[in-house]
Amino acid sequence: MKSRKISRGLRDLLPPELKVRRFMEEKAAALFASYAYEEVMTPTFEYLEVVEMGTGGNIREELFLFMDREGGILSLRPEMTTGIARLAATHLRDAVFPQRLYYLSNSFRYVQPHLAQYREFWQAGIELLGAEGVRADAEVITIAVKALQEMGLDNFKISLNQIAIFNSLLDDSGLNREEKDCIRSLVENKDLVELSRVLESLDIDDELKETIAILPVLHGGIEVLDRLPYVEKNRRALAAVQELREVYETLQLCGVIDHIVVDMGVLRGLDYYTGTVFEGYSPELGYGLLGGGRYDHLLGKFGFPCPATGFALGMDRLALLLKHPALQEAPRYLVGGKDFAAVIAQAEELRKQGFAVEIDVEGKSRQELERKLEGRENCITGGLIYV
Amino acid sequence: MYDDYLTIALSKGTLLEPTLEVFKKLKLPGEGIDDKSRSMVFTYDKERVKYIMCRPTDVPAYVEQGAADLGIVGKDVIVEQARDVFEMVDLQYGYCRFVVAVPEAIKNIALKDLNYKRAATKFPVIAENFFRSQGLQVEIIKLHGNIELAPLMGLADMIVDLVSTGRTLKENRLVEFIKIMDSTTRLICNRVSYRTKHQQIQPLIENMQKLSTGGSA
Repeated sequence: MKSRKISRGLRDLLPPELKVRRFMEEKAAALFASYAYEEVMTPTFEYLEVVEMGTGGNIREELFLFMDREGGILSLRPEMTTGIARLAATHLRDAVFPQRLYYLSNSFRYVQPHLAQYREFWQAGIELLGAEGVRADAEVITIAVKALQEMGLDNFKISLNQIAIFNSLLDDSGLNREEKDCIRSLVENKDLVELSRVLESLDIDDELKETIAILPVLHGGIEVLDRLPYVEKNRRALAAVQELREVYETLQLCGVIDHIVVDMGVLRGLDYYTGTVFEGYSPELGYGLLGGGRYDHLLGKFGFPCPATGFALGMDRLALLLKHPALQEAPRYLVGGKDFAAVIAQAEELRKQGFAVEIDVEGKSRQELERKLEGRENCITGGLIYV
Repeated sequence: MYDDYLTIALSKGTLLEPTLEVFKKLKLPGEGIDDKSRSMVFTYDKERVKYIMCRPTDVPAYVEQGAADLGIVGKDVIVEQARDVFEMVDLQYGYCRFVVAVPEAIKNIALKDLNYKRAATKFPVIAENFFRSQGLQVEIIKLHGNIELAPLMGLADMIVDLVSTGRTLKENRLVEFIKIMDSTTRLICNRVSYRTKHQQIQPLIENMQKLSTGGSA
């Protein structure tokens, strides 16, 4: 077999890329740990029925599916949150809540591959389980902001929304499920042309129409919430607006408000979100960097009702933005010589001092090694030691 | 590449002139733009605006990837490519419609009898989706031009194509059999630019909306 093909949307990672990746992971893990989050791991694949508890049935064409020997249908995990919800509902029933968990994992989706979108992708994320309310939302969003900052990114925005505003408006509209789904996807994809056409054709309150039509373009500071005419009439939507205001105020306390914008068009694709939701963007990349929010009903689907919130950061996308991260590497030496025992002793001595040491295992002469070193000054920063 | 310029991808060809008229009304710069010139990028430093001149079919790719923040392109191209972009304004001009057209000789054929027939088209995605939505299996033959020739030469039983006046169909003895959808020119927007350059983009969108619904900007 001389085939060098790999499946579409996958890739090899070489040392320079992995250095950046590990740097990011270390930063993320240290930050999460400093907020008392602890790492977990779930299986790479799960039963389809488990995966669909979280994602709903609407992303099946994005799943990598296969069968086990007993005939069960399995899916490579398309995201981490559902697996962690299952894990918590299984193993953490007797734990003291809130529980704070984090992960550094790969997930898989059958998407159209392009720059910044791969079929195997890596995420760093957190889940805050067992805590309701604004403070929990604010903690998670604060960590998202700090994670990007820790990795060296300054120019980014987190778009914030409360999904219950949109959902309550739609619930009370008297529209059927199909119409609701249609409007939802039009708002989410900001297809304003089709949205206005569909709204025109519907027999619902004019003020409600106006409000739904304006949602996708409401974007800015907290004052945009004053531009929702119909909301006063809907108690649940009003409560959600109030909650969004409180999250915003709490984020001011957390010192991250400079990065926050309110964006009523952020609905998140997955079925499980229930409250505050957010997405992170950098002007230097045409795709989102992170996403998350509150999902209070997901654990209940696994028989363990428990409020929860969290986010996941796309490491592959972020890596594209971190061209020259502040990597800290120990100086590297090349040690060679005729007397191999002396070479080993010298190398061990340097390693003890914290340096990285490459031993010449080919028994080359000093001249040969010097020639070999030419052009590798950036790599062998310590230089050659010939004993 | 990030800068504070607003980059707009323009479709070369027939859409360019009406687009520039709209831009003029919106007080956007437009001096010296010409799709026959060799330059493909037009920069206006004072207004912080850049235009790039693209083939219409390339506009969604520039916008999706963020090489342009906004794009002006026909709905036909947007639907065919199914790119991940925001569709913000219907600019109304550049009207045409997607139709299935059949040779005059079989103009009374029933829709169901198109099952397992062959359709020639430049738009395989739109054609495929339409026939599927009708529960039909139709073999799609992708061609790059002169679609009307295919039924004449026996390459296909029908065509799926864009029609504005219908003259070309008539000249080739084809008749419009069923309309799939209407298409007009749209303003599309990159998902991230919409958020990161919102202060530049939102007023522009609002003015375009006003203009296209008959008001003045």
